[in-house]
Amino acid sequence: MLWERTLLHFNVADFAVAVERVVDQTLKRRPVIVAPLGSARAVVYDMSEEAYQSGVRKGMALCQAARLCREAAQLPPRPELYRKAMQGVLKEARLYSPLVEHGVEDGHIFVDVTGTHRLFGPAPDVGLRIRRQVRDGLGLNPIWALASNKLVAKVASRLVKPVGEYIVAPGEEEAFLAPLAVSLLPGLTVREVDRLLEFRIGTVGQLAGLSRQQLMVPFGSRSTFLHNSSRGIDTSQVTGMPLETAPIDCEHVFASDTNDRQEVEAALLKLVATAGQELRNRGQVARRVGIWLRYADSHHIVRQASTHTGTASDFLLRRLADLALERAWLRRTRLRGLRLVCDRLHRQSSQLSLFPETKARSLRQERLLGAMDTIRSRCGQSLIGRGKIVSAENHGTVSVAVSN
Amino acid sequence: MFPLRVRSHYSLMHGTASPAALCRRATALGYSGLALTDRDNLYGLWSFLSACRQEKLRPVVGAEISEPQGSRLATCLVKNAVGYRNLCQLLTKRHCQGLILAEDLPGRAEGLLALTDDLSLLQELHRQGVQAAADLGSQPSAIGRELRSWALKAGVTAVATPKSVMGTAEEKELYWLLRAIAGNTSLSRLPTYEQSKSVWALESADEYRKRFAVWPEVVPATDSLAEQCAFTGPEFGTVMPPWRNSGATEKGDAATVLRQQAYLGARHRYGDDLGEAVVERLEHELRIIGEMGFPSYFLVVHDIVHRKGPDGLRRKRRICGRGSGAASLVAYCLEITNVCPIKYNLYFERFLNPGRTDPPDIDIDFAWDERDEVLAEVLGDFPGHSAMVCNHVVFQPRMAIRETAKVFGLPDAEISNLTKRMPWIFKGGEDLPEKLSRLPSLRDQDFSEPWPRIFSLASRLIGIPRYLSVHPGGVVITPRPISEYVPVEYAVKGVPIIQWEKDGAEEAGLVKIDILGNRSLGVIRDCIQAVKSQGTNLDELHWNPEEDPRTKCGVAKGTTMGCFYIESPAMRLLQQKAGTGDFEQLVIQSSIIRPAANEFVREYVRRLHGGAWQPLHPAVGDVLDDTFGLMVYQEDVSRVAVAMAGFSHAAADGLRKVMSKKDKELRLRDYREQFYHGCGLSGVEKEDIDRVWQMMMSFDGYSFCKPHSASYARVSYQAAYLKHHFPAEFMAAVISNQGGYYSTFAYVSEAKRLGVTIDYPDVNRSVKQWTGHTDRIRVGLQAIGDLSKSLIGRILTERQKKDFVDSVDFWSRVQPADQEARALIHAGAMDSLDPSLNRTMLLWQWAAFQRSRIQAVNSSLFTVRLPEPPPLQPPDAVTLLRREFAVLGFLCRYHPIVLTGPSPRGLIKIDLMPAQVGRRIRCAGWLLTGKLVSTRTGETMEFLTFEDDTGILETTFFPRTYERYAHMLQSGHPYILTGIVEEDYGAVSLVVEQLSRV
Repeated sequence: MLWERTLLHFNVADFAVAVERVVDQTLKRRPVIVAPLGSARAVVYDMSEEAYQSGVRKGMALCQAARLCREAAQLPPRPELYRKAMQGVLKEARLYSPLVEHGVEDGHIFVDVTGTHRLFGPAPDVGLRIRRQVRDGLGLNPIWALASNKLVAKVASRLVKPVGEYIVAPGEEEAFLAPLAVSLLPGLTVREVDRLLEFRIGTVGQLAGLSRQQLMVPFGSRSTFLHNSSRGIDTSQVTGMPLETAPIDCEHVFASDTNDRQEVEAALLKLVATAGQELRNRGQVARRVGIWLRYADSHHIVRQASTHTGTASDFLLRRLADLALERAWLRRTRLRGLRLVCDRLHRQSSQLSLFPETKARSLRQERLLGAMDTIRSRCGQSLIGRGKIVSAENHGTVSVAVSN
Repeated sequence: MFPLRVRSHYSLMHGTASPAALCRRATALGYSGLALTDRDNLYGLWSFLSACRQEKLRPVVGAEISEPQGSRLATCLVKNAVGYRNLCQLLTKRHCQGLILAEDLPGRAEGLLALTDDLSLLQELHRQGVQAAADLGSQPSAIGRELRSWALKAGVTAVATPKSVMGTAEEKELYWLLRAIAGNTSLSRLPTYEQSKSVWALESADEYRKRFAVWPEVVPATDSLAEQCAFTGPEFGTVMPPWRNSGATEKGDAATVLRQQAYLGARHRYGDDLGEAVVERLEHELRIIGEMGFPSYFLVVHDIVHRKGPDGLRRKRRICGRGSGAASLVAYCLEITNVCPIKYNLYFERFLNPGRTDPPDIDIDFAWDERDEVLAEVLGDFPGHSAMVCNHVVFQPRMAIRETAKVFGLPDAEISNLTKRMPWIFKGGEDLPEKLSRLPSLRDQDFSEPWPRIFSLASRLIGIPRYLSVHPGGVVITPRPISEYVPVEYAVKGVPIIQWEKDGAEEAGLVKIDILGNRSLGVIRDCIQAVKSQGTNLDELHWNPEEDPRTKCGVAKGTTMGCFYIESPAMRLLQQKAGTGDFEQLVIQSSIIRPAANEFVREYVRRLHGGAWQPLHPAVGDVLDDTFGLMVYQEDVSRVAVAMAGFSHAAADGLRKVMSKKDKELRLRDYREQFYHGCGLSGVEKEDIDRVWQMMMSFDGYSFCKPHSASYARVSYQAAYLKHHFPAEFMAAVISNQGGYYSTFAYVSEAKRLGVTIDYPDVNRSVKQWTGHTDRIRVGLQAIGDLSKSLIGRILTERQKKDFVDSVDFWSRVQPADQEARALIHAGAMDSLDPSLNRTMLLWQWAAFQRSRIQAVNSSLFTVRLPEPPPLQPPDAVTLLRREFAVLGFLCRYHPIVLTGPSPRGLIKIDLMPAQVGRRIRCAGWLLTGKLVSTRTGETMEFLTFEDDTGILETTFFPRTYERYAHMLQSGHPYILTGIVEEDYGAVSLVVEQLSRV
């Protein structure tokens, strides 16, 4: 028999802004826009609710955003700080359950508290307690919602945004969803929502009124998902991804979009260095390197390059990354962001070479990288690097997704 | 040292400097001559020759010829006329069939000098007896050493060449920009070799001498080679199209046949008893035409207009002669023009006179959709002897900014956001960034980096040729193969084109025939066809629309939207003010409306209504009495120059011609001096000369001659007649033929105002075009935005078999794409198929149909049966209309202004405007179109046309108002206007003071 599940969803609305407001209390009284400053063509990274109401959106050109919301305070993004804050929130949540799922510094957390009644008391109390601890300890005030699955919990917290709480009792999911707009359902693409509206299906209840066979007509394989969603059925688990298998994923966001070869290559080197260090720390090698290019017109493209043997050396990683970049970078439109993903990971083999003299060069490189890693771990990332990285002027933001 | 290998910007995207700039640079560097050798073309030949004349340089004509498949390249320099012919043929072969230098050059090497830096090619050419020289480039190099040592041994001349792609070294950045644009890449990603090597500027002779001091024999050898190139440009005289007597019906030479044809036509036009005036005029014209050697030209044009059908009989196409040719009675009798020059007092001398040295051209309009067919026939009749004239498309400000910004990687949307709001009349020139930032329509534009850098580079790009396109209609036909006169290549659309623009062709003496497309001839044709198919008889030969009272009354009221040439707001206002509706006045009106002649228009209206006036000057006499003492037609400029300044007819004609040219400043200066001098001699006061000269300068840009105006006015009247007698058929034809002054949206509104009902498109009833019948118009399938041509074709073929029974039957037989099926539903074209279903359910059924297609690939064997759709609500009224508007671009039953919701109170409807003259009012209007003009002080203002569901309104935005609101104006949007209603000679307009979006 399946346990009836109890899930908590926490969401710190406009996470970056919320964190900044904790750091600087005076920001609480005015709209805030987070964006790289000092560059003419920066775009908005995050904004507060007030700025959103004035029409500011993520990815909008900063100068346009500034025109729409003249009184807003503008701050540069500090991903390191947001990561720390996120870790803080997670720490509080982990006190109550080992099953905690989250995204990349976006302020969303699912906590599975099924069966913890005897340990921590009723789930609503846990929700309240985590909220209070996060508020008192970190100064952030998350919305929280309680429901029997992730879908309903997320819809519930969407309903009360930006502040509040919502509890959906087991068995009431369908009735809870029925009057809501279909656009509130998570997981629906914009196209699907448009399609539903075209058929004049505006509420989740109307959607639930259609049979699975009927939904099959316009939505094909997605009909099961839509059918379940409209009835508040969601069987997906709360999973914390184990560290070992998570791909290494780091991104560089250019402060000012660019199509300058040197600048892009420098950013790529920086990412390679970060990824390489992470691989060596984990004792892993990657057999595939993927490059994600995000263009200024929000098109994006992914291309990969792979190797048979797997590597953790910056030198080989770079060759793969260059190859992937060459395959991906075909347009001349400026780039907003560059993402490097190393996957197909496995443990580094500790077996020594049979003919060590043929590997003299790679051994030298390994020692050099080892020395650089040591310096970086002691004195900070930016202290040492390749000449190309240091010479590039366009300082952007590098963020690394690190799993628990 | 003589510079033997120099590229100009005509080496498209491979060079930066204009021939004129290169010539100036050559003079400044102390050269006595210059060779222009562009890559695979002679595009710049005529501007090069004229720049050389001006700088007193000795021109050497040549070109670099490259192999289309391969990297070999030879520079060919012309020694004499034979060499020129060979060069043209080599270039033609290069473009039309492909060429291998080592094989093709030896056969056509006579009169040519070949330079190359490819040793193996040099050896092959030398072996085959071609006069070839080793090209050592602009400085000694390793390759040069090898070339030179072989040349010394073989007794071949080795020369130094500038091998330059720029005038000066400052143009390097511009050169890279061109390369990045051509390579579709960014500056930093250009292959590095392009950034460092092979980019040279034209340096001084001393510099080359210094560089080649180690090989001292090279520079003198270069000079002596240059001495051999004595050719200074082609001299063909006038090259007429040849007429070949097909011999079937006509006998004798061209002059005899022309005479027979002219008299035959005259009897057809005027009846058997030709009056004295006709005969006298015919004889006079035939004599001059014969003396000047033009009979064959007339006959060739006659044959083009009267195409021989498969049955061997000639049939006349619907045409409208334009230009000065309409002044010829012979042309009228040959039916290549359509107004009687005797009746409307058109002077033949305007077209042909013995003093005229340059060839005249006869221009003919055909219906736009028949033009390509006519051109194909002409090119097919004279294969190898005919080609079209080309246009050199140069970077305009908008294109320059666009392309530069793309190289800088800016996203398309961001670029369009700027370029779309640049007015079309915007000219670049000096300080482009400054000018742009002052544009009112760009007031809220962000001008931060990298825009300033883009503007500064883009401004240097303006005027550089980018590619060749086809001239709208100019065809050149030559007696000898055309590639002996000029290199020929193929345009993208597959027609042969010569490498020169119309000015170049004219300078070379090639007579061109203009075969142009005219939408309105298509409109008149379709409308007459529709009217005739409904049983109404319309005798076109004796049709006199200009005498018809209803038509005249309509023209006088300016209700001529949709009518050829008289539908623009400015023209309609002028007709209202004139209020006559006379043919003679319309001829004046269609000529007087020119960009620079606003004050004369006002003066014309005043004088027309009886205002007092004096002749321009006593010396002019009664020359301009027909036009109330105003200069209206092109030829008035010549006539005044003759009367006031004692110009010869030829010189006066030259002055008239030079005004419509592009680079006229210099030549115009000479004429100005001559005019002032001449007037001075006849004792005219300085102020009077200034005033008259200013008036002449208002003919700058484009202007018409009287025959042209009359010819156009005739078509205008035909259109106006049809509009006022058969409004539904006419408006349907206007919309179907597209391309009028207004959008389909505006024509639909006009049709509704005429009391016509617009019926929804219907897959069982609509054809491709719109169809009009008495007081209803059925929307054509062409109006539905997303329908492909092939789908429309399928619908029509399937329907011919049998009508569609229901929607499933339709989808199964026609197989539309998703986008198309939805568009048909939204446009209401499916409504009649399943009356029990609403449009939401139709959409659902379409989804079900698609699903069934996926599930059963072989479903075509069985009839598709769909389950009943769920009971879905029909779309609400506003959504329904919005979708209809999105797909069609207009609403069949309503005006879209109703979609904007309840409007504020106190708004005046447009049809009530005449009662509000002198008052300040508010009204809501949908912006249709606008026209920017410059005031005398250089400020910008705009005339905009708005409409609501009751009428159409002309408005004026004076500079201040324009500056405040320009950035908000976008056609196809509703606005609330506040302003004062004004009336001028019966024409009502609104002077806008405030504007806001609804």
